[in-house]
Amino acid sequence: MSASLAPECNQVKERYDNCFLKWYSEKFLRGAATTDECDPLFKQYEKCLSKVLNDRGIDKMVKEAREDNRENDAEHLKPKR
Amino acid sequence: MVKFYSSTDTYPYPFPAVTLAYFLRYPNPYSTHVISTDTIARHFDPDTQRLTTIRLHLKRSKLPSAVTKLLPRSLLGASATGDTQSYILEKSVVDVKEGWMDTESRNLEWTGVLSVVERQIFRRPVPDVPDNIKVFQGMEGAARRHGFLNFGGSGAGVKVGVDLNGETTDVESSVTLHSHVGETWRKKRLAASEGSSSSEEEQPQKVGFLRSWGTAALQRNIEKIGLTRTLRSQPNAREGMKVVLERMREGGLVGVLEGMRKDREAILQGRDLLKDGPTRADEE
Repeated sequence: MSASLAPECNQVKERYDNCFLKWYSEKFLRGAATTDECDPLFKQYEKCLSKVLNDRGIDKMVKEAREDNRENDAEHLKPKR
Repeated sequence: MVKFYSSTDTYPYPFPAVTLAYFLRYPNPYSTHVISTDTIARHFDPDTQRLTTIRLHLKRSKLPSAVTKLLPRSLLGASATGDTQSYILEKSVVDVKEGWMDTESRNLEWTGVLSVVERQIFRRPVPDVPDNIKVFQGMEGAARRHGFLNFGGSGAGVKVGVDLNGETTDVESSVTLHSHVGETWRKKRLAASEGSSSSEEEQPQKVGFLRSWGTAALQRNIEKIGLTRTLRSQPNAREGMKVVLERMREGGLVGVLEGMRKDREAILQGRDLLKDGPTRADEE
């Protein structure tokens, strides 16, 4: 698995990534997904990572980038047909 | 002035496999410069069956000497040799029902100097067969994909799934490069000349430096350098995806994860993963 930006989050990231890959290939790709089953693990991973993103000011950069592209995002996400 | 690159390609792999490979493309032997990959947001919409993912990659890069010569190092935050790190924000939406994956990656820092937006759209080709046959083939295809993507699957049988069904995935790639360098300073200068109180002390040096080039010429040059790097890095990105897909065909998901583990170890030990090639650490 790819490494996390924050080494202290590697373990919780790996647990989440494994869960996601299983869900993605066994449920999502077969159109059989009803909920994101890995969300509880994602929350743990997010909690670990958010501290580092905040400390390094990355969350601010991400927020700005996403605000800059909000219109673009709306375009990106709208139904294609 | 905006520079633009675009290309199309077809992967000889089914659409679901390509989307999975996209999520699993780092690390691979062609991407040893990618230090980390984190998922920072993910949303599944059960009504549309769409999955939206936002990831953050940290890449090691080397600024071309042409750029370090053009811009003061203090502005770029790089070492004397041009070594630096950069964050890339990647957004993707997968619609498995309609058979497309729309992805976009952009640099987070120095977007004023050069903003690079890379977009890739993967599509399951529309089959050229009557509906009744399509339904039958679709079911058969799904069964094969099942084997192909089996989480715990071993190599045996998995290979058959891909080679026999002959499914392909189309990909459209584009890269847009845009430099805004000098524009904020120019605005500040205009504001200053209109008599508003702007910070005088930071202007003389930057204005002098820009005047020697001309803002437009500087932007054009930076975009040109960015485009050259894009042209050079695109084949590596493609090769990286192919390695991941090949591993998937040989050993399923387990095979991909095993390959990633080995690549990550090799990167940590500073070994070159491409035995015959030059080191890729400084590639975009």
